[in-house]
Amino acid sequence: MGKKSWADFELYVITGENNHPGKQLADVMEQALAGGADILQLRNKTGSKAELLEQGKMLRELTAAYGVPFIVNDHPDLAIELSADGVHLGQEDMPIAEARRLLGNDRIIGISTHSLEQALAAERDGADYIGVGPVYPTNTKPGRPAVTTNFVADAARHVAIPFVAIGGITLGNVDEVLNAGASRICAVSAIVGSESPDEACRYFLDKINAAKALQPIALTVNGRQERLPVQTLEGLVLRLGQRHKRCVAEVDGELIPYGKWKHTELRDGMTVELVHFVGGG
Amino acid sequence: MMEDCENNPLVIGGVKLRSRFLFGTGRFPNPGVLQAALEQSGAEVITFAIRRVNLDSAQDDSILQHVTDRQLHYLPNTSGASTAEQAVRIARLSRAAGLGSWIKVEISGDPRTLLPDPIETLRAVEQLAKEGFTVLPYTSDDPLLCRRLEDAGASAIMPGGSPIGSGLGILNPYNLELIASSSKVPVIVDAGIGSPKDAAQAMELGAAGVLANTPVAKANDPVLMARAFKLAIEAGRLSWLAGRIPRKRYASASSDEAGSLYPAGGMV
Repeated sequence: MGKKSWADFELYVITGENNHPGKQLADVMEQALAGGADILQLRNKTGSKAELLEQGKMLRELTAAYGVPFIVNDHPDLAIELSADGVHLGQEDMPIAEARRLLGNDRIIGISTHSLEQALAAERDGADYIGVGPVYPTNTKPGRPAVTTNFVADAARHVAIPFVAIGGITLGNVDEVLNAGASRICAVSAIVGSESPDEACRYFLDKINAAKALQPIALTVNGRQERLPVQTLEGLVLRLGQRHKRCVAEVDGELIPYGKWKHTELRDGMTVELVHFVGGG
Repeated sequence: MMEDCENNPLVIGGVKLRSRFLFGTGRFPNPGVLQAALEQSGAEVITFAIRRVNLDSAQDDSILQHVTDRQLHYLPNTSGASTAEQAVRIARLSRAAGLGSWIKVEISGDPRTLLPDPIETLRAVEQLAKEGFTVLPYTSDDPLLCRRLEDAGASAIMPGGSPIGSGLGILNPYNLELIASSSKVPVIVDAGIGSPKDAAQAMELGAAGVLANTPVAKANDPVLMARAFKLAIEAGRLSWLAGRIPRKRYASASSDEAGSLYPAGGMV
């Protein structure tokens, strides 16, 4: 697996056996690959080394058959032993530089980030990609506060290396994440926990590709020129990472009540003002 | 003071207020000081301005996140407007935020003095009153203009004592007293107040309330100053209710002369 093509991935799938009781890991992951998942990670925080090794061997063969990169969570040593394409680190795992020494320049190193500061640090430290999340509260990582789509929007504006949005993303909310500026999506329970993982993958990919097909339009936002692939006022505010601010919007001089943002279509050349209250006498 | 609050509250646009201090929220050193000062002020009405959100920052710098846990009435201003049309636009934007329909009309045509443009202010008040806003215009201290603003539908009149942020106090007490005594709507002295002394003076002249921002926010200790303003406004109000003595050219002894050990006989 060359490093050139892997970065074009769109749908990142991670194992999560808790989500599919009664189904074999191999069957579920093969379905995800058949559905179009184009990067796959083994994550098993509770299994023994022997179990991980066994699952890893199986997934290495499977991903190789589909020509898809195989990433191992947390364990650079296991990644080497399994001839995996890379490793995915958490913020509490070993530093990127240390993982790089172990894995060399040909293997992929990804890291989870939960703030723009962490994202930019990972980029500086030589990560090949970052995870951006959890976008929504998730049972996979209970207790970790959601970073919301604002972090996705920030990453889209400020991070140059590939980033993948992760955490609580479902077919029901993925449009919001894509609108905020993500072009790579990672899902766990929404895919491996689905009745038919292959179908779930196809739906996700349809949505990702539809978002990619959006043409950017030229807008004047608060007096500034922007070119963004947005369709609605709500999409614009999402994309600008301003959704948490209690703001008021005006489009071409017309006041748009919050309830109508979703249905207010933006067209090339429009002028948008987003205002809010600041201290004053 | 309690009695006055209960029996004779300040009423603006149908809302009864126990405090006669309207609190400006700009230029405080930080949100913590702002909150503490607001607490000490006892104010129930706060003012703020409307500005574009900063698209480069995800951090929310809105004023509302610091004060929404209180029982307050919101008085956004139209600062930045230099025409009636601009003020009306800002008023509509602020009403869309869902914090009520009070608006302080503030239209300045001169960046050096920030003095209000009387013609544009009157036009804006006419339009906004028609649109159902509770309009509180910041105006120059001209008694006839104030009457015209009242006739145009203003819910209160806010003449300035001197230019915004100047701290020069009340430059024309004669006009202010005239305005206060002839208006049928509350008169709130806004702008130019430098210290609690000026606030007390405004109340003694018959103002129904005082709006202050810079003299609190830029004081060495804004929290202490907020309390000083609260007390001064209460003192001035009580003084006006009590009725001050007339000014005399010569002395008037505090004790009767009868029985004096040294009867005044003039020069011996």
